[in-house]
Amino acid sequence: MSEVTTIGGKGKIEVTNFDLSYETLDGPVEAVSDASICVNPGEFVSVIGPSGCGKSTMLNAVAGFLKPTRGRVTVDGEVVSGPSADRGMVFQQYSLFPWKTVRENVEFGLKMKGIDSYTRQNAARTLLNLTGLLQFENQYPERLSGGMKQRVGIVRALATGPKVLLLDEPFGSLDAQTRIIMQQILTNMWQHLKISVLFVTHDIDEAIFLSDRVYCMTARPGTIKAEIAIPLDRPRQQSMMMSSEFLNLRSGLMSLIREESLKAMGGEVNEAALQGLNINLNGQSLSDVI
Amino acid sequence: MERVVLKMTEEDTVEPVEFQAPQVNTPVGKPIPAQPVSLLILAGRWLSLHRAELRTFAIGAVSLCLFLLSWHLLTKYRVNVHVRFVNVPSPSLVFESFTKAMHDIKFFHHVTLSCRRILIGFSIAAVIAVPLGLIMGRFRFARDVIFPVSEIMRPIPAIAWVPMSIMLWPSNEESIVFITFLGSFFPILLNTLHGMATVDPVLVRASQCLGAKEFSIFREVYFPAALPNIFTGLTVGMGVAWVSLIAAEMISGQFGIGYFTWEAYSLVQYPDIALGMISIGVLGLASSATIRGLGRLIMPWSRG
Repeated sequence: MSEVTTIGGKGKIEVTNFDLSYETLDGPVEAVSDASICVNPGEFVSVIGPSGCGKSTMLNAVAGFLKPTRGRVTVDGEVVSGPSADRGMVFQQYSLFPWKTVRENVEFGLKMKGIDSYTRQNAARTLLNLTGLLQFENQYPERLSGGMKQRVGIVRALATGPKVLLLDEPFGSLDAQTRIIMQQILTNMWQHLKISVLFVTHDIDEAIFLSDRVYCMTARPGTIKAEIAIPLDRPRQQSMMMSSEFLNLRSGLMSLIREESLKAMGGEVNEAALQGLNINLNGQSLSDVI
Repeated sequence: MERVVLKMTEEDTVEPVEFQAPQVNTPVGKPIPAQPVSLLILAGRWLSLHRAELRTFAIGAVSLCLFLLSWHLLTKYRVNVHVRFVNVPSPSLVFESFTKAMHDIKFFHHVTLSCRRILIGFSIAAVIAVPLGLIMGRFRFARDVIFPVSEIMRPIPAIAWVPMSIMLWPSNEESIVFITFLGSFFPILLNTLHGMATVDPVLVRASQCLGAKEFSIFREVYFPAALPNIFTGLTVGMGVAWVSLIAAEMISGQFGIGYFTWEAYSLVQYPDIALGMISIGVLGLASSATIRGLGRLIMPWSRG
């Protein structure tokens, strides 16, 4: 199982003065502006922000799919120039290969490394067993539930023993109960592997529950608005989400994000509009007015 | 950038968790342990499970019988209402001619020759059109070069190629195979190209993150992702190949099931016309079914 264990001290992600803009007919549009973040080796860091703030863009640049317009993206001091198996990625849309069985999906990265099929199979089976998926090894992904698909996605990304794991809203399309279980599985795996994780989400609870630190981004063009340390004990458990320190962190982050979400929604939404039905109807009922 | 530190107010004690995944909802339920059941109950269950299919089968059988019956009646009474059934052979005459043909080595010669032409023409088309479509789908430059030419050639029906084909190829046999090839080439090419266009870019990214390089991405992602469309192209191509082959055989052939059908008309062997037509239908159906079966074998993940 040497492929799966990572050596401590590796996997430092540094994003410095990151700018990303793209050309349109109306001129360049800035998606991310002067953002700097870092993930220390073995640290779990989340980036949180309103939709469209460029948090996924930044993650894609760390993965090597995008080049920054200005600034640098490095992993262990090396400038990222393209995608590599050193940086495992988990996508929101699961992105399992439908033509491969669960085990073949997990084996894929090892196959690309040229590892023989016997070793590959053993490694994949061990990993699947750890996540309770061994009995589904010969199924095609189509037959699995969303939570199972994403467990396969995470295991597949970890199988090559990457230095860092990048997750792009991985639990975004799961139902609330499954999501909580998946978060627990992820923190458990992370604690055992001691791998650096960069996690992008718009879910505040998720970010607090999982992370050592949380970066909060502003609305487009995205910049880093705040950096929040999460001093909760490890290992984390679901019951902690009711604790007062969790709730304190939550309300702090909530107010930071709320401001930005309102900005991201544009001028049409303001605090007054959110008061909803407190409309003065001059004593009439709503049906009278309509 | 402002640094916010939100303080903890209370210490919570937590027990360490073992690295063990909870069992989440499993869609594949465990089968109920088998109990000894009588054959009658088993047959009953099978019937209720396959009711819809049985119904379809029964309706299909009745429909075919009705078709044969109306054919029989139309020819028996030599119906002549603008459309003339006077010379149309009856089903029984066609069956008679079928039994005769079963003992005739010449009929089999026609059939096997047609099948051979299909096999060669269609195979060459598949071997060229599938890789070409894959390359055109992957590399824009290749697409930009080849697409305009193929778009001009595509609408020309294979039958319009008959005179040109006779000029191009030294033997009759080669020109007929060439027309069969042309008929199946474009459906295969276009469907492969379409398959490449529908490949999910996230899957390509996922493979890159797992260390796949250009050739591996092609083999492990693009090709399997395009396979369902490739098989659609092969099925359509096979249909068009038969259309083109029969046309070519009728015009320039000396053998083959298309020639057999046309010759029957010239020789006033009317039952043989229907026999030729039905044979073509059965052969076309069988070859399409073969392709579909092959597709299911190669793509076990798609149950369609």
